[in-house]
Amino acid sequence: MARMAGSDELNHIQNSLAGDTEAYAALVKQHQKMVHAVAFRMTGSLADAEDLTQETFLRAFRQLDSFRGEAKFSTWLCKIAMNLSLNWRARENRRGDVHAKWAENAISENDSCDQFPDELSRRVQNALNKLPAKQRAAIVLTVYENRSHAEAAKLLNCTEATISWRVFAARQKLKRWLQPILHEQL
Amino acid sequence: MNNSELESALKKAQMPARPEAFWEMFPRRVVHRLNRPPVWDRARRHWLPRLAWGLGMAMCILVAFAIGHWHGRMEKNDAFVLLQNGKMLREVLTLFPNRVRAIVQDERGLQLVLSDQPNVPMSTPLWVKICDGKQCSSLVTFSGQELEIAGQKITVLSDAEGGIILEGNQFVWSSSARNFAQGGLKIEAKRLNSITL
Repeated sequence: MARMAGSDELNHIQNSLAGDTEAYAALVKQHQKMVHAVAFRMTGSLADAEDLTQETFLRAFRQLDSFRGEAKFSTWLCKIAMNLSLNWRARENRRGDVHAKWAENAISENDSCDQFPDELSRRVQNALNKLPAKQRAAIVLTVYENRSHAEAAKLLNCTEATISWRVFAARQKLKRWLQPILHEQL
Repeated sequence: MNNSELESALKKAQMPARPEAFWEMFPRRVVHRLNRPPVWDRARRHWLPRLAWGLGMAMCILVAFAIGHWHGRMEKNDAFVLLQNGKMLREVLTLFPNRVRAIVQDERGLQLVLSDQPNVPMSTPLWVKICDGKQCSSLVTFSGQELEIAGQKITVLSDAEGGIILEGNQFVWSSSARNFAQGGLKIEAKRLNSITL
């Protein structure tokens, strides 16, 4: 098990499996920023990213015995985070159908606009938010997580061709939406 | 704009920064949630502290026995009505002030879900019945509680107008828009306004 994990990481995984939550805390500390980054890029909200990051680690702990070490532990976590983020979007949409008013409040509360360090960062995230979730996932994995199309395809349970198409389609939109800000900056 | 210019712009974009204290505390918060008392999924029990689980089980058995004794004459068909019994609810809530997250009646019998801290706010109890075609679970809980019922996590909420909303991973149900329930679940819910705490 966990052939690709480092020896410390392997120890932490084995101890976590034995119920040692302190060992699991060490694993959380090691991977929390990566998981949070994936969740934030997918949701555009700090509050939702925090919830999703917690949920990712809770789910990973409960499913730890299913981690076979065929991929890196970080890849396994990334897959859980991505699946939760994609489900979060669907859930948010359903929530909007039922109590749109609550959702509006939630969106305004979750607004992270004022916390971006600069205008480019804010505009890029807004553009990502406008992409269809699966195209956004393809961009997050290939651009921000530096995954190859083959790795992204495995993570998203689709073919490499599908990923390539999603990346292509997303790039066309992002170029159109971000053209003005890039012009301003030149 | 070519692909490399776009990629460069995307990578330049930074995320809002979290203070270092947030990252220091985050693993603690995850571990705290891991150590919460068990909810429903028996398959997950192994990672809970054995002592907490033992105590929780003992309390559940005691309360179930007491409730069964008090209502010994009730027939099985009346089981779901039991949860709407004001006297029984008041007694359980008095026994565990601010710790009762839910009282559940399902095919396994009557079960009590307690919080490990007295942090469950007092509010009007909500009665919920969920049937998935094979079996039914009936429970009394409070707004804001996240429970695992019929194999899925469900958050029970009440709104200012007296409506009840159930939010699961795969569905959202509202007492004011009942057609949103999905996955073959049949759901009923109401506020137990007559029960004063």
